[in-house]
Amino acid sequence: MDTKTLLAESKARFNHNSAKSYLKEKYSSKLLVAEQSGLWKADAQTISFLNSMDVDSIVLIDTFNNPVQVDREKLLTVLKDTYNTVMTDWYNEWKELESKR
Amino acid sequence: MTRGVLLFAFNSPKYNYYEMAEYNAKRINHYLNLPVTIVTDTDSLPAHTDYVWDKIITVTPDKSNTRTWGIWINKGRFQAYDLSPYDETLLLDVDYIVNSDKLNSVFDYYDDFCCHNTIDFLMQPNSAQEMLSYYGYSSLWATVVAFKKTNRVKNIFECIHMVQKNYDFYMNLHSFNTGIFRNDYALTIALDIVNGHLRNERDFIPWNLMHIGTNTSVHKEGNELDSNYIITFDNWQRGKIKKEYINVSNIDFHLINKDLFEGIMHGSE
Repeated sequence: MDTKTLLAESKARFNHNSAKSYLKEKYSSKLLVAEQSGLWKADAQTISFLNSMDVDSIVLIDTFNNPVQVDREKLLTVLKDTYNTVMTDWYNEWKELESKR
Repeated sequence: MTRGVLLFAFNSPKYNYYEMAEYNAKRINHYLNLPVTIVTDTDSLPAHTDYVWDKIITVTPDKSNTRTWGIWINKGRFQAYDLSPYDETLLLDVDYIVNSDKLNSVFDYYDDFCCHNTIDFLMQPNSAQEMLSYYGYSSLWATVVAFKKTNRVKNIFECIHMVQKNYDFYMNLHSFNTGIFRNDYALTIALDIVNGHLRNERDFIPWNLMHIGTNTSVHKEGNELDSNYIITFDNWQRGKIKKEYINVSNIDFHLINKDLFEGIMHGSE
């Protein structure tokens, strides 16, 4: 039996909350980046902070709670690229799942 | 530095773990681009197979672990350190289905050992974390372990062996009674002993181990190496089942119910 028939015959309903949780699990981990001896999350807060500073080198606390001295511009570039790629994929998959009823 | 994946697979009267390992090995080659070594026994190894393993290591398994449905050969995982032919090893359960290249990133940020310390369930989000007992440690998971060959890691695996040999004592000490030996619990106890009963965040994979739990079914779409699935869930409400589903793709998961593996390998009925 193919999956479409199976879903139709069992009258299964698409669960949007579970789909949302699955997407969060899948894409949150993809925002993690190992760079300059630290592990970073390419989130809005970290990117905004790096963007707001005007120094070449800065000490940040990474996701393991260790202070790490980083090249600000280099880390910012990597985190921005990761953020854009992952969030675009997340958005596209969410739009696709949203259209399911 | 050599990198590879190590799988332990010993057939039980109920499940063909070798077949699961071979199915998963092809996916590991495809998604992680890593060689795979299997640790098995002569009884499980088929006379002929098309799949080319990087290495086949045969051992004599300890068959002393019994469940209600029969023998469960899961002892001996401590041998991974000595048996692995790689400098950096990913030790995976054969029922952990690889659907993405995500595990490759573990090599970028672990020190010399890491495993999962948190879990979640597809279709049952925000489930409680498993504890060894009501007031015991929260469980670590031996489903995915990455390690290098260092003295500390050697100590961890030797300690797992020690816990396995004295499992009744540790069950008593930590007030749990699984009835059977569990690698997850042995790892939890061993890592805590080696780390001086302190937990080091760097030993943990920084995302949840995704389980497929009870009342959940998996239906694979596409060909053998595709990673698109429909997950259905029987949601019990007021004595009735409401069938729910989601579509997932490119996400690794661990099948708790081994019967589901049959459907994935050979197509759902």
